[in-house]
Amino acid sequence: MAEYQAPLRDMRFLLNEIFDAPGQWASLPGLSENVDPETADAILEEAGKIAAGSLAPLNQSGDEEGCHWDNGTVTTPEGFKDAYQTYAEGGWVGLGGDPNYGGMGMPKSLVAQVEEMVQGANMAFGLCPMLTAGACLALHAHGSEELKQKYLPKMYEGTWSGAMDLTEPHAGTDLGIIRTKAKPNDDGSYSITGTKIFITWGEHDMAENIIHLVLAKLPDAPPGPKGISLFLVPKYEVNDDDSLGEHNALSCGSLEEKMGIHGSATCVMNYDGARGFLVGEPHKGLMAMFTMMNYERLGVGIQGVGAAEASYQNALAYARERLQSRSPTGAQEKDKVADPILVHPDVRRMLLKMKAHTEGSRAFITYVAQWLDQAKFAEDAEFQKKADAMVALLTPVAKAFLTDRALDTCVIGQQVFGGHGYIREWGQEQLVRDTRITQIYEGTNGIQAMDLMGRKVVANNGQFFEYFADDVADFITENQDDPALEGYIQPLASAIERLADVTEHVINSAGDNPTEVGAAAVDYLDLFGLTAEAYLWARMVKAAKPKADNDTSGFYTGKLKTARFFYDRLLPQTVALAEGIRNGSDSMMAFSEEEFG
Amino acid sequence: MPQYRAPLRDIQFVMNELLDTETHYQHIPGGEEATPDMVNAIIQEGAKFCEQVLSPLNQTGDQEGCTLENGAVTTPSGFKEAYQQYIAGGWPSMTADEELGGQGLPGSLSIVMNEMVGTANWSFGMYPGLSHGCLNTLEAHGSDEQKQTYLPKMISGEWTGTMCLTESHCGSDLGILRSKAEPNDDGSYNITGEKIFISAGDHDMADNIIHLVLAKLPDAPKGTKGISVFVVPKFIPDENGNPGERNSVSVGSIEHKMGIHANATCVLNFDGAKGFLIGEPHKGLGYMFTFMNIARIGTAIQGLGSAELSFQGSLEYAKERLAMRSLSGPKNPDGPADPIIVHPDVRRMLMTQKALAEGGRAMIYYAAQQADVATRGQDEDARKEADELLGFLTPIAKAFLTETGIEAANQGMQVLGGHGYISEWGMEQIVRDARIGAIYEGTTGIQALDLLGRKVLMSQGESLKRFTKKVHLFCKEHGNNDSLKEFIEPLSAFNKEWGDLTMKLGSAAMKDREEVGAASYDYLMYSGYGVMAYLWASMAEVAQRKLEEGTSEEAFYTAKLQTARFYFKRMLPRAKAHADAMISGADTLMDMPEEHFAF
Repeated sequence: MAEYQAPLRDMRFLLNEIFDAPGQWASLPGLSENVDPETADAILEEAGKIAAGSLAPLNQSGDEEGCHWDNGTVTTPEGFKDAYQTYAEGGWVGLGGDPNYGGMGMPKSLVAQVEEMVQGANMAFGLCPMLTAGACLALHAHGSEELKQKYLPKMYEGTWSGAMDLTEPHAGTDLGIIRTKAKPNDDGSYSITGTKIFITWGEHDMAENIIHLVLAKLPDAPPGPKGISLFLVPKYEVNDDDSLGEHNALSCGSLEEKMGIHGSATCVMNYDGARGFLVGEPHKGLMAMFTMMNYERLGVGIQGVGAAEASYQNALAYARERLQSRSPTGAQEKDKVADPILVHPDVRRMLLKMKAHTEGSRAFITYVAQWLDQAKFAEDAEFQKKADAMVALLTPVAKAFLTDRALDTCVIGQQVFGGHGYIREWGQEQLVRDTRITQIYEGTNGIQAMDLMGRKVVANNGQFFEYFADDVADFITENQDDPALEGYIQPLASAIERLADVTEHVINSAGDNPTEVGAAAVDYLDLFGLTAEAYLWARMVKAAKPKADNDTSGFYTGKLKTARFFYDRLLPQTVALAEGIRNGSDSMMAFSEEEFG
Repeated sequence: MPQYRAPLRDIQFVMNELLDTETHYQHIPGGEEATPDMVNAIIQEGAKFCEQVLSPLNQTGDQEGCTLENGAVTTPSGFKEAYQQYIAGGWPSMTADEELGGQGLPGSLSIVMNEMVGTANWSFGMYPGLSHGCLNTLEAHGSDEQKQTYLPKMISGEWTGTMCLTESHCGSDLGILRSKAEPNDDGSYNITGEKIFISAGDHDMADNIIHLVLAKLPDAPKGTKGISVFVVPKFIPDENGNPGERNSVSVGSIEHKMGIHANATCVLNFDGAKGFLIGEPHKGLGYMFTFMNIARIGTAIQGLGSAELSFQGSLEYAKERLAMRSLSGPKNPDGPADPIIVHPDVRRMLMTQKALAEGGRAMIYYAAQQADVATRGQDEDARKEADELLGFLTPIAKAFLTETGIEAANQGMQVLGGHGYISEWGMEQIVRDARIGAIYEGTTGIQALDLLGRKVLMSQGESLKRFTKKVHLFCKEHGNNDSLKEFIEPLSAFNKEWGDLTMKLGSAAMKDREEVGAASYDYLMYSGYGVMAYLWASMAEVAQRKLEEGTSEEAFYTAKLQTARFYFKRMLPRAKAHADAMISGADTLMDMPEEHFAF
């Protein structure tokens, strides 16, 4: 495994040269008091160090050792506990948390970069603070003041970690049919009973306490998703003086054997009348959970970017060193037995595909993160509404498109290695195994696509989509005569037009045939993602072009060439996707169940 | 782990109804034995063995893996016994020469068996699979004495074989290998060197293991023209042909891999091991390529098998798992939710797997039929024609089917949601096992260069034309059939575009040699979609005809038509993106200086 290096240069390019993050921070009162460019830069620098120095070295050993279960207790791989200590003491868990409860109040556009580094260095480890931050978010948005005072500070500190307990053996995507029960106690608390599965970091030895957010049904709950409530269930009860009390009636029944992320514990959690506290109102748990889930979905997209970056670094290092065959145009390194494989066009195709998607994905995450900051801190109500809509629209794309591309990137990286890519010692196959889960958890990518197509596009008749399309249209109008963008504006305009046409087509056909939405969804999300990346690559070209002439580093010329590659070699996929969608749902739905085989 | 069920109805459909194997066998020596009844009985018997013996060992084999102790490899529990049954059933000798103890049946019949074995348990299938490559090379290029010494025992399956090509510093580029062969006075050679990634390099299932080793003689010219091939037995056969003295070849280690855990991937150390030259000095690489096409078709089966097994596993789950209601109203009103097979997106994933598995089967059997003619055909011209067609189809089948097999396996896993990621369900194993298919026996990139560079452009496009002509004739024959219009029209348009794109690439390559490598991957994938479109249109034609004639199996043929429709509407459009990418030129790939790839 190549040593992980935090991609700070590209992150700075995005924050400072594309998105003018410092300008945005200064303009938003909620942020300007917490962050300035110097602080932000120092945070990036430090995060890079901890990711590369403390977390990356444990990635492979964590995979090999895995977590161990013994009679209800879970032991993490060697080094994880110390690394977590270092991580928590650095204040990283509460980086984006509310300062009123001990968080650092940093903007998401910055926090996202830190998260990418952590996930790129060690995804199994990164899941723990990621889930804690998500649990904090739900608690912050929906919990009572008392719960917030009691739990948030310790969680932001990292002294306690968080977990989300949704899935049951028979219910994952369809949470409406869960069976876990909550019975009211006289003291206002509840007794929670049931079995939850696939609980990431549900039990471990890194934090003093683990705060579970559990979905369960009250005795008077209506059936279906409208009868679900959310409860906070601590592993150890918390006394009035904030010291830890008794072990709650919950236990980890076993750990799953999985394809990857072996360093993180995936738990079966048994609740046997455990004492819990209602978060928010009865029967409104699913809504509360979605607060957390939206955050986690973006987080999973970020995991994808991190994995893609690690994969690119690993494959590039190999392609530079591995000597094999001669360049088609004659030997490039005559004194060696063969040329490095980076000279071969097909190896370059693979690496550039990885590079174009990794950098495009990072830009996409930063773009969404900036909208999130607007949604949270903007003072203009109209603008805030738009920002909320953009976040809602872009989140499923960030989750699904970026993780789909991340898996591609990891698999392509493996291909660059040839046979060595299949062997554990090189670390590349681990990246594939680890990344594969990102397409599944926090709502499978099929579910994200349904969310995008159904709830975010069709349900509001394309209103949210218009916001995005306008953003792209404004860019096109402003820059259509800019010679720097020649060769980009035209194909971008066609791409957004294609996406708009398909959007209209699906909205229209959905009225007559409800299955159209489901049939179009995954291809539509892919089409959306590619178009959004095309837009962001054009913005990167605009920023890079003026600096390319006197560029001795090659950074800006490299950006321009990667953009060209994206437009010539990847963007054409949108044509095929649009055609598949237009062909409709009949080819899928005509089958009777028996006819499948 | 999905319990494998041999898809016998579809196998029959492809063999009998699509490819008319009965007539085909009448023109192949050995084929006269393969009467429809005989073929049917063989397949039934094979299916039983694969379902009952091999399939249950697939997951346990993955979990247990192979172990190396004191220089010897132990295979997972049950493998040894299963291999004994495999020998007892006569499976290794099915297609071998009768004079050497084989049964002389056509090679394409063993492809059917290989599909079932490989789908039920790919790791197991690799042991006899590699023997086959070794055996074929010996048969074609070995001396009579070598053939007498090794072949009967390898044909019976008592001994297995390996191919030792790769070294730690060279895989795709064998010209730079370092293993050495020093001549001895008795005509044998001392082989010294280290080989890696040797599948089935050591194990406990057979009495002897026969290695074919690439090495360089002291006077070898540089590069690929200086490679010789040697037979190096683990135990040197004594005068009676029994395993004798232990040769100085040892297992250095076994690799820890992503998948195919039940197959031992060995580092083999040859330390002055006694070896015997096969054929002439320095011609080893050519010999290795003799059966490359057939060996690569063998690897292509892994793609088909992955798609088939993951389809079976995810279909079963999709029918049972209850989640959410259908968008068009409840389909299982009495249950708490509908089975997920009602959801369009789940269907998309199932259909993709189904179209790839059935299309892949058609592609492989079609190629295998060409291989029958190429190796045993009576007529010189027909043999040559089939050999060239096989040469064109091989890189496509190998790379396209293994790539799409990985895609299918991932789709199958996705259908299971979180359970797909858990080892117990076996779906993630299919993904891990499938992944190697696109790497070994020449990576996808190498296959793509072979297709566009060596096969298509080097023949001035003749290699492609041989195939597109068949497509053209098919379209012409059925052009007036209105019920097939939805297939014939796009196929015919594709066929024309295929030729045009090839011409364009040909002229671009004359100006810039980088163009071939820059276009090759997209060209291969494009071609894969094209070949599969031809086969799906052909299958649709058969199904349509049967439905018109009247049949008791209406559901089966309707499903075929619907799958063909799905393929044409939802999968074939992907080829467009490959077309655009392949003609976009090499500059986007070659312009960037090495040091600018990352900062």
